[in-house]
Amino acid sequence: MVEERPFFTSVARAITPTFLGFIGVLLLVTPVRLFEGGVPTPMFPLVVVFFWSIYGPGYVPSISTFLIGLFQDLMLGGPVGVWMVVYLLVQYLVISQRDYFLGRDQHVVWLGFAICGAGAGLLVWLQHSVLAGTFVPVLPLAMQMLVTIACYPIIAIAFSQLHRRVIIEQ
Amino acid sequence: MNDFGQHSRQRPGKQGSRRLSMIFLLTVSVLMLVVSMYGARASAFEKAREMVLDLFEPVLTVFSMPINWVDNRVGDVGDYFNVLEQNEQLRAENAELRAWMQEALTLRQQVDYFKQMMDVKVADEASFVDAQVIGESGGPYQRSLIVNAGTGDGVEVGDGVIGTSGLVGHIVTAGKSSSRVLMLTDFNNRTPVFIEGIEVEAILAGRFQDDPELKFLATRDRAGIRPGMRVITSGTGGNLPRGLAVGEIAGITDEQITVRLFAQYNNTDFVRIVDYTFAEADPEQQEELEGGVIEEGGSPAGAAPETQAAPVGSAPEAGATQDAAANISTPSATEPVDAAPVAAPVAEAIAESGDVNG
Repeated sequence: MVEERPFFTSVARAITPTFLGFIGVLLLVTPVRLFEGGVPTPMFPLVVVFFWSIYGPGYVPSISTFLIGLFQDLMLGGPVGVWMVVYLLVQYLVISQRDYFLGRDQHVVWLGFAICGAGAGLLVWLQHSVLAGTFVPVLPLAMQMLVTIACYPIIAIAFSQLHRRVIIEQ
Repeated sequence: MNDFGQHSRQRPGKQGSRRLSMIFLLTVSVLMLVVSMYGARASAFEKAREMVLDLFEPVLTVFSMPINWVDNRVGDVGDYFNVLEQNEQLRAENAELRAWMQEALTLRQQVDYFKQMMDVKVADEASFVDAQVIGESGGPYQRSLIVNAGTGDGVEVGDGVIGTSGLVGHIVTAGKSSSRVLMLTDFNNRTPVFIEGIEVEAILAGRFQDDPELKFLATRDRAGIRPGMRVITSGTGGNLPRGLAVGEIAGITDEQITVRLFAQYNNTDFVRIVDYTFAEADPEQQEELEGGVIEEGGSPAGAAPETQAAPVGSAPEAGATQDAAANISTPSATEPVDAAPVAAPVAEAIAESGDVNG
């Protein structure tokens, strides 16, 4: 079967998750301004890294995670390295706990994502506090992470459909 | 919901090499973080930022199109329901503005007349570059906008950016076709401002929240500040022209004085980039100045005219400029003269915030 598949299709399938990560960063910098700017844009790339680290680590190799993080840092215009470190650590942790997550109920995975999001948030806060030389306020970051965690199930359903029906479809 | 993927285990050897590459890339990331800690505007990163901005400018433009479309439609529906109310409001505002216009015209004439009388060299008129906001920083700790004008359109790093109602920020990264605006609310933004009514200068500093605070104010100046006083750009530093509207004094506590900005971030869709060069002294006036100072008794302030033309660099230079200006009778219209009392702290602050924004 695999041999019959045209080359470009398999390539397209292989790079789809990475591509989605990049689209996620672009969405992050698009002036969506949900509810008059009251609700921050969810961190789509974090969901991408988390989701495919569990269900298909081969589709987001660490170099992809690295590039998504680099792209986000450059696009946000902040210090380079902050999100790269966060995404790579999230991926490292999730892959190490992969056997636990695989085949679990989605609520458990959601809880896992919430813990990951909180940890990532704490790490981002710490890095910015060190870079700014003062304790930066928690609220904007906490809001963004809460929105991301709240959006996770919807994004995960879309991703799992995509993953099952398009990417690993034999 | 589903339990797919449970059969797709990896071979152990592959897992090991993945772990290795991950640790390697993590180390690289941490190194980059350390580099950006010690040189927030490291040239390699800056180049990369410019490149990425230019590369993705068309993509961002496409991405922001549907959002603008939806925004406009939503706005139209809202307008439809309160069109009468709005009409009345606009009429009243229009009448008021007409009165102001007349006054402004009279004042402009007066100012022109005085300028002619005093034969001053004023700053060249600033020119503007219009741009559309195609992106914004969606991160929690950065407040910046991406606009679709760059060095190709005459935009330079440091140029001020104004929205419909006031100053928004200044350019920190300028690519060929797009650039990044650091907003006044960003933690790393420092803008020299002037408080009308009590005539003092200060530095406006972002603080991760909507209302930035005033810094480098003397205690006696602090006492005179009242809520509602207008804050404008002071022009110190030479990047921004004097007199751009910034905001008004909002909250005053013992620890800090905050400024409510005129620019509304939520409806900043179009901006104007202010291309401005600092006024340089007339060559004739400069010679006159030099001669005058030497005649006065050969004070060491011979270099003063040069410093006058340049932006306020450091505290002693600003002091020298003040001396020279006090010694001569020919009036020279340069900012440092009337900025003299506060020039020292302001200059320090500017020097300090040299590589701001991280």
